[in-house]
Amino acid sequence: MIPASFDYIRATSLAHAIGLLQTDPDGSKLVAGGHTLIPTLKLRLASPALLIDIGGISELKGIEVADRVRIGALTTHAELLASEPLRKLLPIFYQAADLIADPQVRNRGTIGGSLANADPAADWPAVAIALHAELELAGPAGRRHVAAKDFFVDIMTTALGHDEVLVAIHIPYPNTGAQFRYRKIRHPASGYAVVGVAVALRLQDGLVSEAAIGITGATGRAFAADSASAHLNGKPLSSQNIANAALLACEQAECLSDGYASADYRKHLLRTEIIRALTSLTNA
Amino acid sequence: VQGIAQALYEEVSYDPDTGQLMTGSLLDYAVPRAEHVPSIRSLFQQTPSPTNPIGVKGIGESGSIAAPPCMVHAVLDALSPFGIKHLDMPMTPPRIWSAIQNAHAGAGR
Repeated sequence: MIPASFDYIRATSLAHAIGLLQTDPDGSKLVAGGHTLIPTLKLRLASPALLIDIGGISELKGIEVADRVRIGALTTHAELLASEPLRKLLPIFYQAADLIADPQVRNRGTIGGSLANADPAADWPAVAIALHAELELAGPAGRRHVAAKDFFVDIMTTALGHDEVLVAIHIPYPNTGAQFRYRKIRHPASGYAVVGVAVALRLQDGLVSEAAIGITGATGRAFAADSASAHLNGKPLSSQNIANAALLACEQAECLSDGYASADYRKHLLRTEIIRALTSLTNA
Repeated sequence: VQGIAQALYEEVSYDPDTGQLMTGSLLDYAVPRAEHVPSIRSLFQQTPSPTNPIGVKGIGESGSIAAPPCMVHAVLDALSPFGIKHLDMPMTPPRIWSAIQNAHAGAGR
C-alpha cells in the first residue's frame, strides 16, 4: 500500500499544466481530488513518474448558472450537492451527488476527475450524456469541445488526449418544463453504480417532446440509450411505452459481468431502473 | 450488525484459476455501514445461571451467532412460493435474483 516514488509539481496555470504534460505525456498524471488516482498509486496499478497537481488552477473552478451552465472541472461532488442555483435549474446534479460514495469522498473528489477517469461505474458520465453536455478540453493546439456522448470511448478511456486537460463541463440551458432523474443501484462496498440511469425528459401536451437517457455501470462505457429515447419521442409516457423503451435500451447494452453481478442481472437492473426513473416523472 | 453482515454482505472470494484474493479492499469487501442496517432496539432476556456458585456465565458473539440463521430463514420463507430451499450467504440481491430465475427455469416456464 505504498506507492512507487514519483515527482510532484503544483501547476500554477492551465498553460503550465499543459506544458508539463507535453514534456512527458505518457509518464505524467494530472491529480485533482486524487480519490481514484491515489489509491491506484498505492495499489501500484499505476506508477507515473510525475504528478501534476491542477488543484490550484482557478480557471478550472466554480459553478456558473446564467444563460448557460458551466461547471469547472475541479468542482467537487460536495459543491455540486450544495449549489442551490444548480439544484433549482438542474436538480439531477443534487440527485446524483447525493448518491456518490460518502461525505468524505464528496468533499475531495471532483466531477472533472470522475469524467476524465471514465470508470465504467462512475455516476457523472451518465448525467453528462443525458444533459447533452459538452466537455471543454485544452491542449497545446488550443481548445476544443467534445459532446459527452462521444467522450467515453471504452473502460477508463476517453477522447481526452495525453497532453490535454479537461477544463469545464458546459450544459445547454434546459427548456421550460424539462424534468430530470438520476437513479442508481449502489454496490454495497464501493458505492459505485452497479447500474445508473440519468434521464432528462420534457412533456408537452402529454407527449414526450424531448428525451435523453444516459446509462452507466451496465457496460464498459457510459452511453446514450438513443433507441429508447427515440422510442419515447412524440408518445405519451404510458407504462407500455416506458417498458418498451427500457427493453430497447437493454438490447443496445452488452452488459458487464463481475464477481458481484452477472451480465444478466445487470441487464435486469438496467431495465428496472429505466422503468423506475421514467415512471417517477409521469406524475411529477 | 456483524450477523447481518454475514447474512447479507460480507464475502471473501478468490479467483478460481489464480487463487488471487478478489475482495482485498473495502471497495470490494462489503463491511456494512450505517445505511446498510436497520435501527436496532436492544432488549434483555434474563436467565439464571445455576451451574456455579456466583451465577455468572461467559458470553461472546451471541448476537452475531443468532442473526444469520434468523435472516436466512426469513428470506427462505419469503422465497418459498418459488420452491427455493437453499441459499448461500451472503444473500445478495444478485444471488436471490439468480435463485428465482433458476426456480422459474426449473419449473419449465
